[in-house]
Amino acid sequence: MAPRAHLALRRPEWSRGEHPVVNVPFIEISSVRKSFPARGGGAVSVLSGIDLAIAENEFVSLVGRSGCGKTTLLNIIAGLEAASGGSVAIAGRPVTGPGQGQGVVFQQHALFPWLAAVDNVGFGFRNAGLSKRQRRARSMELLRLVGLQAAATKYPRELSGGMQQRVSIARALALDPQILLMDEPFGALDELTRIELQQELLRIWQARRKTVVFVTHSINEALILSDRIVLLAANPGRIKRIFEVGMERPRSRTAPSFNALYEDIWNELSS
Amino acid sequence: MNALARRLRDSDLAVGAVGAFGLVAIWEIAARTGLVDPQLFPSPLLAIEMAAARLTAETVGENLAWSLFRVFSGFGLGASAGAVIGIAAGWYRTFGMIARPLIELLRPIPPLAWIPLAIIWFGLGEPSKFFIIFLGAFFPVVTSAYHGMRSIDPMLLRAGQTMGLGGVPLLFRVAVPAAAPDLATGVRIGWGLSFGVLVAAELVAADRGLGYMIINERNTGGSVGVIIVGILLIGLLNLVTDAAIGAATKRWIGRWHGT
Amino acid sequence: MRARLARFAVSAAVIGAALLAWELAVRFGYLKPYQFPPASRIARGFVELSTTGFPTGVSIWSHTLVTIGRVLQGYLAALVLAIPLGLLIGALPFLDRLTAPVVVFCRSIATLSLLPLVIVWFGAGELTKIVLIAYGCFWTMLSNVIAGVRYVDPMLIRAARSFGVAGIELYRTVVLPAALPRIFAGARMALGVGFMVIVGAEMIGTIEGLGALIMEARTFYRSEITMIGMLVIGMLGFAISSGLAGLERLLLPWSGSLDEVRR
Repeated sequence: MAPRAHLALRRPEWSRGEHPVVNVPFIEISSVRKSFPARGGGAVSVLSGIDLAIAENEFVSLVGRSGCGKTTLLNIIAGLEAASGGSVAIAGRPVTGPGQGQGVVFQQHALFPWLAAVDNVGFGFRNAGLSKRQRRARSMELLRLVGLQAAATKYPRELSGGMQQRVSIARALALDPQILLMDEPFGALDELTRIELQQELLRIWQARRKTVVFVTHSINEALILSDRIVLLAANPGRIKRIFEVGMERPRSRTAPSFNALYEDIWNELSS
Repeated sequence: MNALARRLRDSDLAVGAVGAFGLVAIWEIAARTGLVDPQLFPSPLLAIEMAAARLTAETVGENLAWSLFRVFSGFGLGASAGAVIGIAAGWYRTFGMIARPLIELLRPIPPLAWIPLAIIWFGLGEPSKFFIIFLGAFFPVVTSAYHGMRSIDPMLLRAGQTMGLGGVPLLFRVAVPAAAPDLATGVRIGWGLSFGVLVAAELVAADRGLGYMIINERNTGGSVGVIIVGILLIGLLNLVTDAAIGAATKRWIGRWHGT
Repeated sequence: MRARLARFAVSAAVIGAALLAWELAVRFGYLKPYQFPPASRIARGFVELSTTGFPTGVSIWSHTLVTIGRVLQGYLAALVLAIPLGLLIGALPFLDRLTAPVVVFCRSIATLSLLPLVIVWFGAGELTKIVLIAYGCFWTMLSNVIAGVRYVDPMLIRAARSFGVAGIELYRTVVLPAALPRIFAGARMALGVGFMVIVGAEMIGTIEGLGALIMEARTFYRSEITMIGMLVIGMLGFAISSGLAGLERLLLPWSGSLDEVRR
């Protein structure tokens, strides 16, 4: 008990912040609600009154227990699901559907099994008005970015889980989206592959300057990656607290500040 | 009212009933107005009328009872034998090595192709029909039981062993339950096959049963109505029994297997 | 490789031993040769069947060709009808819900029970057999095509939608390829049904075809010819189903689901 209190005392200024000041709201989520009709009448409220502003090039993680609506919120930002109320705007334009600058990386098994890796990436270009050759060249370029040019002609089932998710990232980047929405993309990977892909993602994020919204179950992962961590609570899904992670990257998983913030988030999550 | 209409629209059963009744109604109208020849293509209601004029409920019931008796006894024994042999072949290596080649050799032969041989071996009476229905159930069940036994997660067997199980207790308390979902699939396929085989056997060589009833009607130049009623009855019987087997399977393994 | 060879040797030995036991049991009078013709007699029967034929003039090869011809006609007719219809019904969920009970019921009707009715409608000739095969294949194929189209992994649909792909383009680029393995499985099952039906259908009103051969041989107390016919039917079914499996591996190399849908 004692060392934890000690660390809590030394908690830096930024991690105590309530809602941080965001200068340029790039993604603006205001009073978003989502409910489904329940069995036998009534409605189940999955999300209620979500307000969140995300700045350009910011890396934000959504963390919470199963059923807190984090994937639903991501899908609403992606334009894949409609909110029951409220609105989401990207750069001032309300989101009405997919293809407004959002690229999505899903959990595992979202690659098209009948397309080779390079064609999966090329799927993203299908409406971009490119010739077949241009499409292939661009796809190869993206595969190179994720280090998979050698596996271009392999089918998804011939790739390891980590490689599949690299292809997923390359595919999501195809239309050069301003926003990358990621739904537990590394959740099914083993620890070592997961760490590798986290580093890879940070490298891509820094090289290409994207705004990232990242859904995860792992506090650790959120701490390694994000600028801010949005903690969601369930029944109904709502924002419980927002944590600002002020540490320099690359971050150390053993730094006292890292552990202190971990402790904080865990306490908030389990309270 | 509006809410009720929405509830009905959302119910698969209601929508499906509309589809089925719609089809029957179209047929009914076409036959009654003479758009199609009602003697050749009688609608279900006309067919029932025609059949009622030629057959008593007792005759139909008797033929129905014979068909049911044959299919239940043949299937019951065929499925049991298939399960026992399949499980044994999957569990005991030596037995498997002997039984498998013989089963694999005979399995591709459709059960109906056994009809002539069954008559040669057992004559034209009940045993030959019983034998064919038996085969219809036996092969799907024996194959799926064997397959189920061979694809048990070895981790489960090891877990059983660490708790001191071995030999026959390990077989019955771990291996057989683990193979149950495959076995259930085989039983369901076997039931469908037994049923199809039953009808064929009754068409080719029988003097009672639903299959005999309809082929006899056509051979004696009777009414199409009787044939259609017979066909619908056979279809309904198959549907109901298959649903019953499905429900029983669900009760048996649904909770942990999830189908 | 070595293990496979050993397994093959064991299988061959078991089958050989069974044949030998059978031969001996007949020689020593435990089994009646009329009921259980020994291998030697079956071999002689095969020579007769492939030269003079049974009935005289119709060799085993022409029986086989007749049967294959009938199955293929009915099967292809069923595919031509069932695939477009299934693709349509699967694409429109309301249509699927409307037709589902009818499809399920028609599928439960044992195909051969239609035989008397089809004879009344089309006579006892070729057309009747082909119609029966087509009926059996059609419903099996149709329900598989519908299921293939309807139960596409929602994750794949979501992934495609995230690129703004929707409507007919979504159907063409994602739903259709995703449904192919199931459609293929349906095509294989339907062919199995076709072979099942033909044997029954040929037992009535014809002297050509393998089903007729085995039935006809029985009435002449030629059980060895019945057995040869059965073996040919079995081998034919086996060869065709392996052939289709090979074709699927060739056409859908990306699909790893082959083992799951094997049965």
